Amino acid sequence: MSVADMPNAEIPGAEMPDWFVHKKPRANLIVARWVPAALVGLPVLVLFAIVVYPTVWMFYHSFQDTNMMRLFQGNWSFVGWDNFGAVLSSGRFGDSVVHLMQYLLFGCVLQVILGTILALTLYEIVRQEWLRVILLIVLVLPMMLPPSIVGVLWKFMLTPSNGAVNQALLNLGLVDKHVEWFNAGVSLWAIIIADVWNWTALPLLIVYSGRVSLPPAVYEAARVDGAKGWLVMRRITLPMLKEVIAIAFIVRFMDAFKFVDLVYVMTSGGPAQTSELPAYIAFQRGIREFAIGEAAAYAIIIFAISAVLITLFLKYLKKVLKAQGIA
Amino acid sequence: MARLQIEGLCKGWDFPVIDRLDLTVEEGEFFIVVGPSGIGKTTLLRLIAGLESADAGRITIGGQDITTLPPYKRPVAMTFESYALYPHLSVFENIASPLRARRLDKAAIRKAVTDVAKLLRIETLLDRRPGEISGGQKQRTALGRTLVAEPQVFLLDEPISHLDAKIRHELRLQFHSLEELRRVATLYVTHDYAEALSLGDRIGVMGHGGLVQIGTARDVFMRPRSLFVAQHLGQPAINAVAARLTGEGAALQAHAGNTSFGFPVVAAHAAVLARGDCGQVTVGIRPQHVRVLHNGEDAPGHHVIDAHVEIYEALGANGVLVADAGGVNLTALTSLERDFAHRQPVRLALQTDSVFYFHADSGDNLLL
Repeated sequence: MSVADMPNAEIPGAEMPDWFVHKKPRANLIVARWVPAALVGLPVLVLFAIVVYPTVWMFYHSFQDTNMMRLFQGNWSFVGWDNFGAVLSSGRFGDSVVHLMQYLLFGCVLQVILGTILALTLYEIVRQEWLRVILLIVLVLPMMLPPSIVGVLWKFMLTPSNGAVNQALLNLGLVDKHVEWFNAGVSLWAIIIADVWNWTALPLLIVYSGRVSLPPAVYEAARVDGAKGWLVMRRITLPMLKEVIAIAFIVRFMDAFKFVDLVYVMTSGGPAQTSELPAYIAFQRGIREFAIGEAAAYAIIIFAISAVLITLFLKYLKKVLKAQGIA
Repeated sequence: MARLQIEGLCKGWDFPVIDRLDLTVEEGEFFIVVGPSGIGKTTLLRLIAGLESADAGRITIGGQDITTLPPYKRPVAMTFESYALYPHLSVFENIASPLRARRLDKAAIRKAVTDVAKLLRIETLLDRRPGEISGGQKQRTALGRTLVAEPQVFLLDEPISHLDAKIRHELRLQFHSLEELRRVATLYVTHDYAEALSLGDRIGVMGHGGLVQIGTARDVFMRPRSLFVAQHLGQPAINAVAARLTGEGAALQAHAGNTSFGFPVVAAHAAVLARGDCGQVTVGIRPQHVRVLHNGEDAPGHHVIDAHVEIYEALGANGVLVADAGGVNLTALTSLERDFAHRQPVRLALQTDSVFYFHADSGDNLLL
């Protein structure tokens, strides 16, 4: 008898027993009823006070002509979609979205690519455990600094006349006159450089930990199969790290939508608003200029864009994970 | 001819794991290495596959010395205990991976993979990923990956140990019928003695440092070279009783320490045992050679002793009875029709001509 035609018995007992059908929904609880209510209720109250209430407040005011004075006088009035119209029709917003794309593409993507290369190089090339740890610590140091300090440091370093970066470029002969880092069209690059320096360590850490947890047996199988070097990297390591790299990207991606700190410290969005990002404008309009209604509209538009993009991304991720039987 | 030959193989980390191991596996032979966990079975396979480097010794396949070759240059294929399938690749791609590494053309790969998949009856699963198939199917995929490579030596590391008993049995049958495995030298590692006895042309029992006994399944089971071998093969394990031989010639008796357990040594054994100086021995009696007698039944040719029941386990095909025979616990196999109560008196018939005598210190079988 071959394996295929061996008889198999049905698994009996697929119908639900009575006690299970009539089981009370809360029968699994072995604590007093108020305990779960309190454990869930208190955090919900706190969350409501500090998250839900302000958010609802923001939604409400995005449809009002609220500004500082009207807020204190309490006489704001409903203006429909005017705030959104003002934001979307302004060149300022459109420009900031272009800046955001530039930042995502050259900032976030570069961070993830650099972080991945550094992480895998560190793992594959450096054999000594102690050296790896030291290098990891060194590479992660920039991330330990507060972004505001990073901004100040890089502003110094990029100072056109006597900054360290220009001095180095001149001494190496890579440029023949000072680079004007804070001119229009260049200042966003200055922010991106500082941000890459600041945050590359995060994807590095994420990808490195992902690589460490890949099963060694798979690599041994690959060695016996005859795969080596770049083939292993391309066919095994990178595909298996796909989700991890995606998560590293999503983390940086989410940060991009609330990216204010370096912009504020290094360029204040200037010169002439050429380095503004959407979140910075929302901050500028709302907190500095007290155009609260318009700032709220900005925040909601940013929220909507990021929500759509992240939902699409998570859907993709779920599909990939499901195909591999992980989720 | 592609025979696998291992001479004086050594490997150790903080202690020697494999110490001067010699082994020859002929082409077409299915050789099983059996031994307890942690004894170095997998290390042996990894040395042959080239995943570990040998500290000393030589490994040759078909006369070619491969001791220092990197894994991909060795004509071997290995399945891993954990299957080590690529989780992001389909079953098809998993099986195809050794061929991809060799840069075969697409049509040849497709044909080779489908052929192997048909053979292993996983042809309907080719589009699935490892996360979507069962343990037995994963195992077949892993096996497919090694089969498709058409190596000269197969290394199978506990290929079916982690599957449930029913699928294990199915796959065991499949191993019997896979002609592909019968054409090359196969080294199969397991800790399960039943697998070893069922599958192997020859089996090698691995002890500390190397193979303590090599032979056919029957030979190793019936004529274990040492107590270690005898204890490792067989479930329930052999009864091992420290005993003292007293008397002379036909009156030779075995007695266990401070107990009243003892039996006369059969003449054939006595003649052999008398040659050596061996007062202290370890007596080995397999549970199937201890029979529980029915009331009033007698057992000619057996030594009958009185005992009482300590533990009785009714298993699927038979029962296992542990009885206290004058201060010594003996395990016996019984048929299922009977039932026993704790402390119930029973009479046990020892098949004394099937008893083994091992040296008390070295554990060597004194009858060989």
